[in-house]
Amino acid sequence: MPSFSLHVNNKDYTVEAEADMPLLWVLRDLLDLTGTKYGCGVASCGACTVMMDGNAVYSCQRTVGSCVNKKIITIEGLSENGTHPVQKAWQQAAVPQCGYCQPGQMMTAAALLGKNKRPSDEVISSEMSKNLCRCGTYHRIKEAMHIAIEEINK
Amino acid sequence: MKKEQIDRRSFIKLSSLASGSLAIGFMIPGLSALALPVEECLFFQPSVYLKIDKQGRVTVFVAKQESGQGVDTALPMIVAEELDVDFRNVYTEIAPYGTLKEGEHDTGGSQSVLNMYTPLRHAGAIAKAMLISAAANVWQVDVSKCAADNGEVVNTINMQRIKYGELVCQAALLPIPKEVVLKNPKDFKIIGKSEKRNKLNDILIGKAKYGMDIKVEGMLYAVAERCPVLDGTLIKLDDTAAKKIPGVIKIVSYTGTGAPMHVRAAVAVIATNTWAAIKAKRLLNITWDEGKKNNESTEVLFKAFELKANTKPQISVFNKGDITKLAGKNEITANYAQPFLAHATIEPMNFVASVKGENLELWGGLQIPDWAVNTIAEVTKIKKKNIKLNLAMMGGAFGRRIHFDFAIEAVKIAQQIDKPVKLIWERTDDMQHSMYRPANYHQLKANTDDKGNLIGWQHHVLGTPVAYMTNGLQEKHPEEMEGVNAAFYYDIPNVNTGYTAVDFNINRGWLRSVDICVNTFPVECFIDEVAAKLKKDPLAFRLSLLENRADFKTGNQPGAMTQSPSRIAGVLKMVADKIGYAEARKPNHFIGVATHSFIFAKSYAAHAIEIEMLEPKKFVIKRVVAAIDCGLVINPDGLLNQMQGGFAFALTQALKGEITIKNSRVLQDGFYSYELLSYGEMPPIEVYMVDSKEEPGGVGEVGVSTVAPALCNALALAGHRPRTLPIRNEGYSWL
Repeated sequence: MPSFSLHVNNKDYTVEAEADMPLLWVLRDLLDLTGTKYGCGVASCGACTVMMDGNAVYSCQRTVGSCVNKKIITIEGLSENGTHPVQKAWQQAAVPQCGYCQPGQMMTAAALLGKNKRPSDEVISSEMSKNLCRCGTYHRIKEAMHIAIEEINK
Repeated sequence: MKKEQIDRRSFIKLSSLASGSLAIGFMIPGLSALALPVEECLFFQPSVYLKIDKQGRVTVFVAKQESGQGVDTALPMIVAEELDVDFRNVYTEIAPYGTLKEGEHDTGGSQSVLNMYTPLRHAGAIAKAMLISAAANVWQVDVSKCAADNGEVVNTINMQRIKYGELVCQAALLPIPKEVVLKNPKDFKIIGKSEKRNKLNDILIGKAKYGMDIKVEGMLYAVAERCPVLDGTLIKLDDTAAKKIPGVIKIVSYTGTGAPMHVRAAVAVIATNTWAAIKAKRLLNITWDEGKKNNESTEVLFKAFELKANTKPQISVFNKGDITKLAGKNEITANYAQPFLAHATIEPMNFVASVKGENLELWGGLQIPDWAVNTIAEVTKIKKKNIKLNLAMMGGAFGRRIHFDFAIEAVKIAQQIDKPVKLIWERTDDMQHSMYRPANYHQLKANTDDKGNLIGWQHHVLGTPVAYMTNGLQEKHPEEMEGVNAAFYYDIPNVNTGYTAVDFNINRGWLRSVDICVNTFPVECFIDEVAAKLKKDPLAFRLSLLENRADFKTGNQPGAMTQSPSRIAGVLKMVADKIGYAEARKPNHFIGVATHSFIFAKSYAAHAIEIEMLEPKKFVIKRVVAAIDCGLVINPDGLLNQMQGGFAFALTQALKGEITIKNSRVLQDGFYSYELLSYGEMPPIEVYMVDSKEEPGGVGEVGVSTVAPALCNALALAGHRPRTLPIRNEGYSWL
């Protein structure tokens, strides 16, 4: 089986996997990073969102072979113990219900705010619409986004 | 591990049965209970619901299963209140399966707070009373001179204090009091104040473990290819290509089961990782015997509903006055239809099972664990006492995880391999082999008199019962009549309701808000239609049929419920007031309202929705106002979250939720074809609560049922009334 060097959450890993294995399953099954969630496998729900070189990507759509030399950040590596402005905002707005989609939601939010410190409501809406929440916490995600934007622009 | 489980179970049974017996810190996971000498007290556990250790750390064992509805916050709040401790020092664990009475783990029907409020208050108060007694013994004073205060007992004579943690060993030796005094609710310090979701930070840092995230030593991964038609059988399997995928360990097949879960016949690929199993599954070449019922469709089903709607209901459900003398007189009729729906939790179904000889160990999230374990014991012939279940947090449930087909499947797979296996459902499996909210159809008729009064009401409900699946076709209980049975709330002199069941070859189950949602849509739309016919304002018309009616019981049988028309009117008036119903509308703006009682959870809710019509069938929701009366509120912020989320859930089904079936197969295969509401589609929502001192009611399902009728009532005012959900099928679009 081929082996790949990956850079995840500022650590180097070597994994043995078929080249077409999606990053999602590499993270979850091989690296024990189960904070990245499986929801659909077909880029329709966003639960598996991670950051790759600063961009939010669906990890179910990236094969391990395409992830070499990329800087990958998962929810486990977003901050030390939940201190990223997005996590703090999610805490303050008490966003989660079941919480399953929330790592993906926060990775999308963090990637957006990493590139654009003051996104317009339209931009937030189009970016955050990439992540589904069946519990319907959108009302609070909106609130949390504004808290996070305040925080990073202080 | 097995022996420990049995010992722990028997011990807790003993200690909970024998009132007055000792209950010292025996239940330490990982330690053999019997090996621990009694004098080595580590913590105090006066009941199955809580323990306090020597450091004063309180752990509440949460009996109800968490799936986002907030029970692991609301229930510990109740304990902490009576125990008089700082809620921030309260930790929670899932009450281990087997430590509670049969049925006590059951989570559904928005019953958790309702069922647990009194037992948990007692549990907290008993623990507190024992700690106070222990302190009184230490100080050699009468207990009346001691009081609890924020995790400490105070000697009111000299104001000395002892921390709970320092009292646990003495408290553990005391008899459990038979009676305790509960707090006066006006002294509540925790109940009624917003608390954030327990273990919130674990979710935010990706540490929270859902069923999907469970890993056990040596575990393999499995996915299954199921027979596309319910109750079919496997004829031929060619797995030559699938076996060649690296990582594949074994390919197994299993037969389906009948009631209660109708597990489908399937072929499962077991592999060292999920991806290998998925890849191999795509290469399976299977021939199925689909049975005779492989050509059913929702199109034909709804035609059957339409025809049968005009006939007499199969089962007469509720009769009041004499509808026969009114038949046909001054009558209006309308038919309403709602489709099958899927729960579509973002965490797909999954379960871990491990069979070792006569023993079975299970891991995963379930809403009714006892039902699953009892059925699995029956199906596998493994003795119930040899089954150990480890419950997990659920990434959404909404009723889907009441059903445990996936758990039976995991066991059937694990029986064929000597390692633990995690069965993972792909999204397609979840969408196509689910337990669908029954499709339903309604014919309503109303008669009015010459003075403009509503005097007759008939409601014929047609559906595809869940009970046909869980209990078999002989089941005649009209389960889908909640709200339009003896609980029907509008004050109309002649009422007749009935039910007709139609069989259909797709699995069915309970979905959030169940048949209350099914029936509230037609009732709350049709009442508007009657108001329109009588040229009355829909709000005032409803109030005239509610406000003068006293609370009433739904029957004389034990367990009969109380219906409160005045509380139904109360939430309605609240939304009308908050949205400014009495004020003039802006051009092209319309407000629709709907109200209801979620009777078996003792809660009431209403919605008012203001839309702006942009084109004849294009609208934007400008404002949403919700009101809830659920009696005493335990955790206001938790309630808000449920009402906000419940609205999103309901709006999804009003706008676009629909499962369609052709050739006995579900056509939707994921979120592209079964769309959920997205962030960009979520309108702003305001939620108001009625300040009430009534016993607390349920919350999780209460904010769903009045959304679709309120929206449709607004649309009807704009010129066209949609009577079929989702409204997208009637050509509507929205911003």
